[in-house]
Amino acid sequence: MKEELSAFIDGELQGEGLKVHLGRLRTDPGLRKAWDTYHLIGDALRGQISPEIAARVVARLREEPTVLAPRPEKRNPIGRVGWYAMSAAASVAAVALVAWTASPGWRGEPQLAGGPATTTAAAPVTTLLSIEPHPEVENYLLAHQPYSHRSAMQGIATYVRANDERGAARK
Amino acid sequence: MTSPFASRVWQPVRILPFLLPVSAAIAQADTSALQWLQRIYAATEKLSYSGTFIYQQGQQFETSRITHVVEASVPRERLETLDGVPREIIRTGDEVVCYLPASLTVKIDKQPGRRPFPTILSEQLKDVSENYTIRKGEIERVGGYSCQVLALEPKDRMRYGHRLWADLNTGMLLKAKTFDEKNELVEQFAFTQLKIGGPIGRDQLKARYLRESRDWRVEDSGATRANLAEAGWTIRSSPAGFRTVAELIRTMGGTGGVGHIVLSDGLAAISVFIEPATSRQPAPQPGPVRQGAINLYMRPVGSYWVTVVGEAPAESVKYIANAVEYRK
Repeated sequence: MKEELSAFIDGELQGEGLKVHLGRLRTDPGLRKAWDTYHLIGDALRGQISPEIAARVVARLREEPTVLAPRPEKRNPIGRVGWYAMSAAASVAAVALVAWTASPGWRGEPQLAGGPATTTAAAPVTTLLSIEPHPEVENYLLAHQPYSHRSAMQGIATYVRANDERGAARK
Repeated sequence: MTSPFASRVWQPVRILPFLLPVSAAIAQADTSALQWLQRIYAATEKLSYSGTFIYQQGQQFETSRITHVVEASVPRERLETLDGVPREIIRTGDEVVCYLPASLTVKIDKQPGRRPFPTILSEQLKDVSENYTIRKGEIERVGGYSCQVLALEPKDRMRYGHRLWADLNTGMLLKAKTFDEKNELVEQFAFTQLKIGGPIGRDQLKARYLRESRDWRVEDSGATRANLAEAGWTIRSSPAGFRTVAELIRTMGGTGGVGHIVLSDGLAAISVFIEPATSRQPAPQPGPVRQGAINLYMRPVGSYWVTVVGEAPAESVKYIANAVEYRK
């Protein structure tokens, strides 16, 4: 079960297994939680947490009495509270840092054509574009590809044809 | 003479007329060129490779990465586009999964009743040699490999012409150009970097985009073999050399009960989709659409929409669209 879940997250499941897991994401709260946690960690690592989510995490940390306000121990109160406070402050700072470094990308400010190129180092992060290919033509192109005999010569390379981003021309 | 012996002697002659059209076509073709074509098909089925190729259509160029690994005679393949809208295609055996991150859609397609490779191969070679003149050309270099050039010229205007570059050592197809009836380039595939054989990490075959989002919509084609003629759908006449190779019922773009007929001339395939008009709201615009080597033609037939798609000239696609009939 756990193995299957990690295979699913790793993108190693095909066919039935993939379908079952994708379907179960809607109905199985346990799987959904694991999937969400996985994504939250992944997003934070990639610096892709939105400011709102980061703010929510910060707020949650503030509300968390067990972490932020432990029962002070009489023996060495200052030291213990100090340690918790430090670690909490560090987490808040880390989350805030993630939020701020991530925010320019999230605001998605339009760049002026011909304007100066941003100096941010290009990280090899795959970003999802919001442009949705026109589904009308694409559905037919994708449904046709498996039957293209050229695939017998070049495998699935022919699928690159089914990209409607280029825009099909109506004649 | 009416001895049994005599009748046995004559038997082959009676079969001969049925064999002639096939053997005549193959005899006309350059046999060593046909063997090269066979090598290309075999290489695609059996080789493991990993590389980057460019796809050109008109003035546009796109780069993609492809990895193909054969494990226990099951081919596993992964394609990722490197330019523009990201997408990822993963094939395992006869099942193809397309990840379209821009629309958060996973499309799963499985070819029902796909026949084993050698059977398809001999049928395809026969069809190809009937519809195209195949010639061996020069030796040219592509991506650092010495390649045999093959020219496939169409015998009529109902199909495109092709030029293929196959690696001398392995037979792998490294470059392919498609030409229209005016001999103008329609599209081109060419490897810029390629590694044939050797160890290829399993990581290169993993779905990468799946983990990029939490909410994927699954579209399973659920394709099953069907008899559409029995349901009343027929293609009155097809362009010469094209014959029906598959008939299915499938789901497409979330719409169930879509009829799908595939026609082929051995090299070019044309799909006919038949869907209830109610599933297409607003109604699409009838007529031709062109995208590189792919032509599309849409036409309403009664309360259905017929869409014909294929890597064939607009004329062939339109011809088939106009020949689709419903009779019950």
